Amino acid sequence: MKTKSRPRRRAAAPRILPALFALLLFALAAPLLPGCGGRGDAPGTGDASPGVPAHGDAIVEGSIGDVSGFLTAVTTDSASHGAAAYVFNGLVRYDKDLKLEGDLAESWDISPDGKKITFHLRKNVKWHDGAPFTSEDVLFTYRKMIDPKTPTAYGEDFRQVRRAHAPDPHTFVAEYDRPFAPALASWGMHILPKHLLEGHPDISKSPLNKKPVGTGPYRFAEWKTGEKTVFDAYADYHEGKPYIARVVTRVIPDLATMFLELKSGGLDLMNLTPLQRTRQTETKQFRKSFNKYQYLSSGYTYLGFRLSHPYFKEKKVRQAIAYAVNKKEIIEGVLFGLGQEATGPFKPGTWPYNPDVKRYPHDPAKAKELLAEAGWKPGGRDGVLVKDGRRFEFTLLTNAGNESRAKTAAILQQNLAAVGIKMEIRTLEWAAFINEFVKKRKFDALILGWSITPDPDQYDIWHSSKTGPDELNHVGYANPEVDRLLEEGRRTFDIEGRKKAYSRIQEILAEEQPLVFLYYPDALPAVHKRIRGIVPAPAGISYNFIQWYVPKGEQRYTTFQQ
Amino acid sequence: MNGHSMLRETLRRLSRNPLAVAGAAVVLFFCVLALFPWLVSSHDPNRIDILKILEPPSGAHPLGTDDLGRDVLARMLHGARISLSVGFVAESIAIGIGLVIGLLAGYYGGKVDSLLMRFVDIMLCFPTFFLILAVIAFIGPSIWNIMFIIGVTGWMGVARLVRAETLSLKERDFVAAARAQGAGTARILFRHILPNTLAPILVAATLGVAGAILVESGLSFLGIGVQPPTPSWGNILTAGKDNIEFAWWLSLFPGLAIFLTVLGYNLLGEGIRDAVDPRLKGR
Repeated sequence: MKTKSRPRRRAAAPRILPALFALLLFALAAPLLPGCGGRGDAPGTGDASPGVPAHGDAIVEGSIGDVSGFLTAVTTDSASHGAAAYVFNGLVRYDKDLKLEGDLAESWDISPDGKKITFHLRKNVKWHDGAPFTSEDVLFTYRKMIDPKTPTAYGEDFRQVRRAHAPDPHTFVAEYDRPFAPALASWGMHILPKHLLEGHPDISKSPLNKKPVGTGPYRFAEWKTGEKTVFDAYADYHEGKPYIARVVTRVIPDLATMFLELKSGGLDLMNLTPLQRTRQTETKQFRKSFNKYQYLSSGYTYLGFRLSHPYFKEKKVRQAIAYAVNKKEIIEGVLFGLGQEATGPFKPGTWPYNPDVKRYPHDPAKAKELLAEAGWKPGGRDGVLVKDGRRFEFTLLTNAGNESRAKTAAILQQNLAAVGIKMEIRTLEWAAFINEFVKKRKFDALILGWSITPDPDQYDIWHSSKTGPDELNHVGYANPEVDRLLEEGRRTFDIEGRKKAYSRIQEILAEEQPLVFLYYPDALPAVHKRIRGIVPAPAGISYNFIQWYVPKGEQRYTTFQQ
Repeated sequence: MNGHSMLRETLRRLSRNPLAVAGAAVVLFFCVLALFPWLVSSHDPNRIDILKILEPPSGAHPLGTDDLGRDVLARMLHGARISLSVGFVAESIAIGIGLVIGLLAGYYGGKVDSLLMRFVDIMLCFPTFFLILAVIAFIGPSIWNIMFIIGVTGWMGVARLVRAETLSLKERDFVAAARAQGAGTARILFRHILPNTLAPILVAATLGVAGAILVESGLSFLGIGVQPPTPSWGNILTAGKDNIEFAWWLSLFPGLAIFLTVLGYNLLGEGIRDAVDPRLKGR
């Protein structure tokens, strides 16, 4: 499990183990990342007895995107991070209540001035190839994270470290120049095996990125590109061997097909779409075989603008679009009410969240007024606004395979047409969308999602220095006050102080609308009933995956080809 | 036999072929609907109504509503316009290219012929649909690109047909006569040979439109053809696929429309073939 509040592009995948530390762009509406506030259905109807925990059986899950690599330092999509979470551990992780707890570190001490963290590592941990895990591995990982040859989006946190050293095999010390609030969480970064990666200057090109060896609960067994990944339980896992003997993730790039597979028994777990959940699961047969869960997912979907675009440079235009957008209609029409209106980049119900920010109720008249103030006047053919002889037309990009986003785009198109803005929609395959358009900044506007991490540090998304091609501020947002507040928020451990900084950031973002924050979708996983031990918590359902089990008599997959 | 009476004779034979008449009726039916959608439905095909998502067929929405509450009938009608015009335009492009290449190859023969026909062979080697997929991925999907790409990948059959006709026509006396009168190559090709190849072209075109409509539907179904929210039968079907278990109307009607149109064109095409050349009947 990976630990740190880094932006991850949530690519594609409802995976079981939470990939909760990095900020990710996500391709699906609501990945199975841990959620908060758990207004969850009780797990099923409770008709099945809990049974006795037993080892064995396999879980087959579906993912619409394939893994791009297993080293999370160099990937930013949720399919990859989800897969890597089976194989790797960080020093710390989030527990079911989203509090940091030890993972590879047994405990840690923070010096009174907040500038030094001493991690005491677990002593019984072995890499999957049998080599012992030591503080040298941690030191090596740190060095790789700050190495300019490592193409990582998550290096910033580690550049804050002034000195890192390993006084003995089970102690690791990180010293900072200044207090750095996300420091502890940043050590949720997956720890890499030094003995296997030495001599690979660019770890993204090392064989380990395709055949990982980690310390995690599952060991890598197989990756068939575009088809499936297979993991087997690691008998010597430091928290004990997981009950479920094998995890298979099948790549099924279409959610309707995935749902058919789920119902026909080809899958044990998937994240349902709102439509599937509301219209297709209320059958006796479905309820007999599956438990359904619901909780607010840790992510939001947004309409983003390239802020250097001549039309979107202007704040009034962005605000006008925010007024023009009918978020309620989107939530009802796309999410069937299974989600909440988004107001900013933090999650309702968590401490950094500030509900008292400027809101943009659906108000086309106000939108037109603001557009007129910005110089956009009616006069074009078919009612399109015109300024200096140019028509207000642009293209919206989003990824294919995500029905919710396609529908959101259609509603946005209608909303904007009503105020005189003509928007074309173009859907692109996920990898091409990210690599050719988002990273190269070749877009006018886009629909995308960000994951929300428990630590509120979103430096990498909003800071004006983070606009490089592999960095995550792809809209190109720059505001000196936000820069200062982001800095302030990470320099104090005082939660009230941090809260103040992030509250103000939310106010500024709400005022400036560099993105129109659309909605927080609910996560809607369905899990086969034979699988027990699932306890929904603020962190979702997947935090205790290694304790999930299938009672002996109900196990479905009993022999595996090795 | 002059051209006029030949046309009349052809039409007479065509009208005696019940299947061809049925085909023509279907084609005509869809063309009329596509041209005058407001005769049947006054709904706006892009009007989203989230309170009416996925409603089954009813009085207000005779073919039900789709996953955004849009009227399926209205979308079908406007989709007909898109699908049929893609079919027509794409096939026109194909005929245009095929005609020129076929005429040149047939008329000049020799090296020109070998060169052009080997090019045709090369083009035929590509699995067309995958070639189209690749090109669309490169140039981006839009109605115009779809028309263009279906056209430029679909002309080889026409080229071969025209070449074969030209090969025999250029030896005929009327061509020799025209040449003796001092007619230029262009005049011979387009005034004397071309009109005599029109019958087989008409057959190929009719069948070709059906093929083009199918390809367009396939591309739109896969999400790389006509881009939503512009309706086309193919992309309505995509929404149908996602909801096939409980929204049968979303799959049935566009599927039926594609089926009937393609069947109509095929029947009509074969009818015309039989009518213009009775010797081919039953082959």
